[in-house]
Amino acid sequence: MTINNERRLSYAVLVAPALIIYLAVVAFPTIFSVLLSLTNYNGGLIFGNPNIRFVGLDSYIWMLTEPMGSFYKSLGNNLLIVAVSVFGQIPLGFGLAYILSRKLIARGNKFFQTMIYLPNVISSIIIGVLFNAIIYGRNSVLMEVKKMINPQAVFALNPNPMVPVLVVILWMFTGFYMIIFLANLQRIDPSIIEAARIDGAKEWDILRHISLPALSGVIITTAILAISGSLKSFDLIYAMTNGGPAGQTRVLSLFMYESAFRGAPNYPLANAISTVMVLISVVLIIVVQRLGKAFGTKEE
Amino acid sequence: MDKHNVSLPVKIIIYTVMIAFTALTVYPILWLILQSFKTNTAYMTTNKLSLPMRWYFGNYPYVLIQGNYLTFFKNSVIYSAITVPAVVILSNMAGFAFAKIPFKITKLFYGVFIVGILLTLQSILIPLFLMVSAAKLHDTRLAVIIPYIALGLPMGIYLCTDFIKSIHNELLESARIDGAGFLRIFWRIVFPMSAPVSVTLAIITFTGTWNEFILMSLMISSEKYKAIPYAVGRYAGSLGSDYGKLFTSLTVALIPILIFYFIFRNQITKGVAAGAVKG
Repeated sequence: MTINNERRLSYAVLVAPALIIYLAVVAFPTIFSVLLSLTNYNGGLIFGNPNIRFVGLDSYIWMLTEPMGSFYKSLGNNLLIVAVSVFGQIPLGFGLAYILSRKLIARGNKFFQTMIYLPNVISSIIIGVLFNAIIYGRNSVLMEVKKMINPQAVFALNPNPMVPVLVVILWMFTGFYMIIFLANLQRIDPSIIEAARIDGAKEWDILRHISLPALSGVIITTAILAISGSLKSFDLIYAMTNGGPAGQTRVLSLFMYESAFRGAPNYPLANAISTVMVLISVVLIIVVQRLGKAFGTKEE
Repeated sequence: MDKHNVSLPVKIIIYTVMIAFTALTVYPILWLILQSFKTNTAYMTTNKLSLPMRWYFGNYPYVLIQGNYLTFFKNSVIYSAITVPAVVILSNMAGFAFAKIPFKITKLFYGVFIVGILLTLQSILIPLFLMVSAAKLHDTRLAVIIPYIALGLPMGIYLCTDFIKSIHNELLESARIDGAGFLRIFWRIVFPMSAPVSVTLAIITFTGTWNEFILMSLMISSEKYKAIPYAVGRYAGSLGSDYGKLFTSLTVALIPILIFYFIFRNQITKGVAAGAVKG
């Protein structure tokens, strides 16, 4: 066997298992899903089924124009989640990370970090069911607290059902952003900060002129993570509200799941929603690549 | 200790903020664990925020035995025990080829994997479901194990390629001169050297697999193959009729991952940062 053949063969042996399994399970279904969204396929045989027709963008038009406006409601909720991340989790996460990285307090840095990150490792299903019991219903903790404040309080449905969901999302994932900012703040050369302090810089100056500029790229990365995290949010809402009441807390992923797997299936609609999600991801990927080039981080 | 230019009032404010944050985070979890020691009647009739007046342990045997949690736990262990090593080994293999065996096609292959980091699982559920049914794999362990492995690969290959690139070429070249093939070099030199990234990857993959819910609920219908998240998911969206047992189910599901977290907390936070931040 020549060296070159050995090189080629080794490459194939090393890459093939991962590539085959990944193409079969992730890449192929992604394309498959887009194709299905252009047909009227709604269950049963796929190949050799005479009833499957190419219907073009019909499913998309229906998705965009159906009278309930479920698509817009779901997309709007996805955007609300992004907003909570961008205006809540990212600034809070940054603040916490800054306090921890500058060791502004002498004790307990590791402890605080461990505890604030804790909800991120717990299954979203557990968190969702827990907060369902805490927030909703006559026997909830929220009701108990309302009664403690005002003994005359009566049980009533929440007029803004997304608010509790957003609060729990804020509660759960702030630690995630904290960890990301912390890792990047710790990369700043301490001697720069030391030198600035010797020159008389106050904590505020260090934050403004050293830490924040060093993080500009990371802040954009976290915004992208917030969008992709919002698209991926499913388990928590599924467990907490199941999209209810009346679909008011649905996000795109849940809307798609319900269209496909609950009650009478509507695969064309579900595939159209999936394709929208894929499109958003593709846009994100392009943005990431552009940014990667702009900041000269990785060549990917 | 006051080597920082922070005044005492500021320090007090900072401590208050940190303690408040930590308390807010931990309190619901502690509350949950405490409620699991109440009977349903005790929960309904006493203050919801109170400690159990009489500690009741009867929920636990009920949940573990009637609730089938021992089976779910066993299945969770099986799924993780297969998925984690598979993702670690396959990612290292491909990562080594991408990083150290130059071929033009690498750019394409690597790119295809990296795209997967931002793709969402939900957008491929229908085709995946159809494929699993067509392959007659529905309601088997393989129906979730194969997707779990595939879903772990994008992040795995990203981390491994990045890490293996930093291994010095001279080391590999001298092994080549001694006549070692690439596969031998991988197994004897590269794979042992990439242990740090393998640990990180194993931890990320483990938490992902252990907590996975949606594939589990779609691809498997028999309870004998279901894992812990399914057991909890049965309570999703509707209020339990027995709060004591509900809270105990959640606590039982929570404890393994809490133990895991407190053992590996430093590696976990390091791994998350490595996985999430590029550059």
